[in-house]
Amino acid sequence: MAAPSLEASPELVIGVAVAVVSFLIVSVLLGFLGRRKAKTFEHWLVGHGDIGPLVTGFALVASYLSGWAMFGNAGLGYAYGWSGSWLIGTISLMGIALCLVLGYRMRRYVALGARTVPEMLKVRFESRLAQAVAALAMIILLIVYSVGQFKAMATVWAVATNTSFYWSLLLTAIFVFLYIGIGGYAGTQWVSCFQGILLTVVGWTLGIVAVFWAGGFSNIAGVMRTETFMAPGGTETGIPLSEYTLPLPQPQGLAFPGADWIGVGGSMLMFLLMATGFPHNIARFLGSRKITRKEYWMMLAIVVLGSFTAMWIGTVGFAARAIWGNRLMFDQYRPMYGDSAAILVSIDSGGVVLASLFAAAVFAASVATLGGMAMIMATNITRDLVHNARPHTSPRVLLWLTRLALVPFIAIPLWWTFTSPPPILSEFVAGSAVAQAGIFFFVVGVSMYWKRATKWGAIATVFYGLVLTMFHPNAYGKSIGLYHWGYWAFAVMLGSALVYFVISLVTKPLSREKLEKLFPAKLQEQD
Amino acid sequence: MKAVLIFALSLTFLMVPVVAYLLEGWYAYWGLGFLAMLFGVLLTYLKTHYYWEED
Repeated sequence: MAAPSLEASPELVIGVAVAVVSFLIVSVLLGFLGRRKAKTFEHWLVGHGDIGPLVTGFALVASYLSGWAMFGNAGLGYAYGWSGSWLIGTISLMGIALCLVLGYRMRRYVALGARTVPEMLKVRFESRLAQAVAALAMIILLIVYSVGQFKAMATVWAVATNTSFYWSLLLTAIFVFLYIGIGGYAGTQWVSCFQGILLTVVGWTLGIVAVFWAGGFSNIAGVMRTETFMAPGGTETGIPLSEYTLPLPQPQGLAFPGADWIGVGGSMLMFLLMATGFPHNIARFLGSRKITRKEYWMMLAIVVLGSFTAMWIGTVGFAARAIWGNRLMFDQYRPMYGDSAAILVSIDSGGVVLASLFAAAVFAASVATLGGMAMIMATNITRDLVHNARPHTSPRVLLWLTRLALVPFIAIPLWWTFTSPPPILSEFVAGSAVAQAGIFFFVVGVSMYWKRATKWGAIATVFYGLVLTMFHPNAYGKSIGLYHWGYWAFAVMLGSALVYFVISLVTKPLSREKLEKLFPAKLQEQD
Repeated sequence: MKAVLIFALSLTFLMVPVVAYLLEGWYAYWGLGFLAMLFGVLLTYLKTHYYWEED
């Protein structure tokens, strides 16, 4: 089949514009309804603690399934073949289920006064320093992660509407600012639930349609056996895409997680830990109400559906490869390259209707994640730094400061994407994901359950994780000969674990009396 | 029983590269998804039956 055209028809432009604008209007309206319920800064931060399992479950799906999963996964399948599966997140459900199990305890810290994820650390360790350090680390890592969301949204809009990539970026940034600024936490949670449902339905539909479009599972698998890896820009390598590892030319090729089984192990550990480590994920439990056992199973069913959405989007990339070969890796498709596979398949396989719905779904995935992250970063500044240093600042001032702080946290990643968009979105954001998994799985997730954890263990882990993150093979790793993504990922995650446990064990924990408040006797027996 | 379930939980994670190595194409792809689903079910069972916490 001929290479897909980047020229959108007028019907497609109108369809995508209507779908995306409708989605955004519904999101802003839901955000506005959430705002009406938020009378104080505290309510704006965590709602009323009355959010049920359905909303919490789908909001978790939406915040987890970012532009990486909903959009970048097709690029991974397309560019790397079966070895792309390791970043597609075939086992991402393991990590989301772990987050579901561990994250619920956030409620206890909300009852003790925590209103943000770093504030949970202040309560847990009675340490403002731990709160401030964690807040700064979150800001740094979430800015990197936000870049991927902007690229996803801008690519969809640019391909489907003939608008320039850069104008599309600006448009998406304005909408994100609007609905978080208006809605706050409750608004974000309800909007995320709506977005979670939308992207699950559309992701499954597109995946199934794409398989039929490409001639069925066996045809796709057959073509994949003959395809070889081509780097963005059109450099052919002759390395087959038929295996679950892709031995790209060394040493640069080792920066790809699927290059060998050590990288695969690193990506598996990343997916196991990162859902809990993502502050914007675990924050979904800040406003949830008491959940029954039965409702817990309902939340699991929701996240199962959501996690398979990511796999279906990966399938779209395989289908695109089966039909178009390696053409999307040519410079004609720059700067989107393989990342354009999903939207092009939606246009070719489902016409205006499916392409429009898919565009809205990508916006849903990216905006939900971006919204959750911008909210975290803005409150990191006001609640975790300003309020931390000056506890008597009026709530009204804090609320307005938070809204103002949204501007730089939307603008910085926007500028980054504007000046230097990453060629393969998911590969880029995986760097930030490893750091968040390594640092916050232990500092936040484990600290909620392990009584012996100390503030020094937590603080040392944050510093260790941030320093090691700079040695990513595509950043400063090369300068010290660290080319292997797998070794780097293990050094970040296992190293963080080691630092966390060792430093905690050699430093003094909170007094017994204080720990009894955090770990009531009845629960200690169960723990 | 709890120990058996925790062992099975660990096994679902450890089996991931084994399945990818031994199987190929779609069998491995959906096989990994199935292992992840099994992991989620076992973990939720452990949480709701052995580690349930009332506030």
